[in-house]
Amino acid sequence: MSNIQETIIEFIKENFVMGRSDTKIDPEESLIEAGIMDSTGVLELVEFLEATYSIQIEDEELIPENLETIQNIVSFLRQKGID
Amino acid sequence: MDELVHHFLDHSAERFPDKKAVFHGEESATYAEIVQAANRLANLLKEEGLKKSDRVLMAMENSIASIISYYAIIKAGGVVVEVPDKSTQSEVSYFINDCKPRIGIFSKASARRLDGISIPMIITPAMEFANPNGRYIEWDKANQLPATDPAIEIKDNELVSIVYTSGSTGKPKGVMLSNRNISSNTSSIISYLGITSADRIMVVLPFYYVYGKSLLNPHFKVGGSLVINNRFAFPNVVVDEMQNKEVSGFAGVPSTFAILLNRSIFPKTRIPTLRYVTQAGGSMAPALTARLMEVLQGTDLYIMYGATEASPRLTYVPPGRLKDKLGSIGIPIPDVSISIKDEHGKELPPGVEGNICATGPNIMQGYWGDEQETGKVIKPWGLITGDIGYKDEEGYFYTTGRKKEMLKVGGERISPKEIEDVLIESKLVHETAVIGRPDDFLYEVPEAFIVPIDPKTFDLEDVKTYTKQRLSVHKHPKYWHIVKSMPKKSSGKIDKEALKK
Repeated sequence: MSNIQETIIEFIKENFVMGRSDTKIDPEESLIEAGIMDSTGVLELVEFLEATYSIQIEDEELIPENLETIQNIVSFLRQKGID
Repeated sequence: MDELVHHFLDHSAERFPDKKAVFHGEESATYAEIVQAANRLANLLKEEGLKKSDRVLMAMENSIASIISYYAIIKAGGVVVEVPDKSTQSEVSYFINDCKPRIGIFSKASARRLDGISIPMIITPAMEFANPNGRYIEWDKANQLPATDPAIEIKDNELVSIVYTSGSTGKPKGVMLSNRNISSNTSSIISYLGITSADRIMVVLPFYYVYGKSLLNPHFKVGGSLVINNRFAFPNVVVDEMQNKEVSGFAGVPSTFAILLNRSIFPKTRIPTLRYVTQAGGSMAPALTARLMEVLQGTDLYIMYGATEASPRLTYVPPGRLKDKLGSIGIPIPDVSISIKDEHGKELPPGVEGNICATGPNIMQGYWGDEQETGKVIKPWGLITGDIGYKDEEGYFYTTGRKKEMLKVGGERISPKEIEDVLIESKLVHETAVIGRPDDFLYEVPEAFIVPIDPKTFDLEDVKTYTKQRLSVHKHPKYWHIVKSMPKKSSGKIDKEALKK
């Protein structure tokens, strides 16, 4: 598992999966359909990514292809030069 | 006389049988398809033993099936109890205990969450369940039944739905709405928004929420159409679909517009077909309203005010007056009167603050099984909305505060007491207070202060886990503070004003 993936999963667990839980997050599962993130959750995630990786995410980039699953987020960050 | 609620569907199916009534992703359905499916499902409910005025629980995200279910329950003579699709087992147990539904209709996702509850479950699409205590009825069973209306006699003073809303006591209260309540409000909405069969609205608000339902009924009554999109988590997807599907209307709560304006392609996107946009569900900061007006060149913006207890619309600001009445909730909609009254029902002159009261055929029948709470808000001089405000010399109304201590998270009213009760129930918390913390997108979010029973062994994670199991996500405190003691007023009550500082 990549380091980025671990960091993101940790952030999501801490902020959206309340409480101590051994919930498994499938990297290919939609975070929206799984009920883990909603519209404000997506914005919190974006803020976190911007701050953690010192990147700028444009409004146009807030689309499912970039943010719907853990895997999408990881490859989106790769495109942005984060590895 | 106004039509009955299920006639909205029946009459549009007669006038526009082949017209697409609803679009949802790749799916769509015509009025004829929806009326036939609703009749079949109504016949299934009857076959399953549904009697006149029996309650039917619904926990579904917006879909063609959820619309079919709503009208089917009404056609079968039942009372719709539509609850948030993300409700937890303990929340749903409360609703079941309170209004005793005979049966429930669930989406797959809700059923997964609620499997094991005590009423028979109709689930769509069909799925395998193996809980030995459960009773499952296949949605598809309805396909074998006739597509003719079950022809139950329904009167306009009879209940159509019970809508649960957070009460100041911490226990949700069931607002009882009759055919006449909903039908009259539907007619008023159609009239002041000028909705016609040519209108097509983008729906991102859930139908279990009265504001969402008030998009469905008016469009079905005039034979317009709806585009359902449950993916507002990605607002750009919604904006694209508004453009592609050439919608003429859009409705949101303040957080919807904060997100659209601040983090989406909406301000840069032209949607030439967009005739009007409505905003309700809490007061929007005038600065945000002003920005929205700027972005919406050529599209009318309606700022509105309402209450679940009023089916729900009460006032609106005519778009032409919005600029000079910024911050106002507007004037009464057709058939409704609004006034500012004191505690004894005496009307107060312009400029003087008092209770915002409402009368009209849209005011609820009362709270389900709770005459005491009903008596507190239904007075001989009208519904006490719980909001404090005043009117100006021109008869425009303004809200200045809330009487009841309620939080407004997104568009939803939340009782801090309900959250506090759960925290205390955990047996880990000695004392607690939940307040609203201002939030750029949701207006406010719950913030919890807790005094642990045993600070040495206390682990906040345990409390979070306990809360998660019992309350829906939007009720989970976003901010937590572990404190040694609470600031108190002389009465001994926790001083929440001090906590806010």
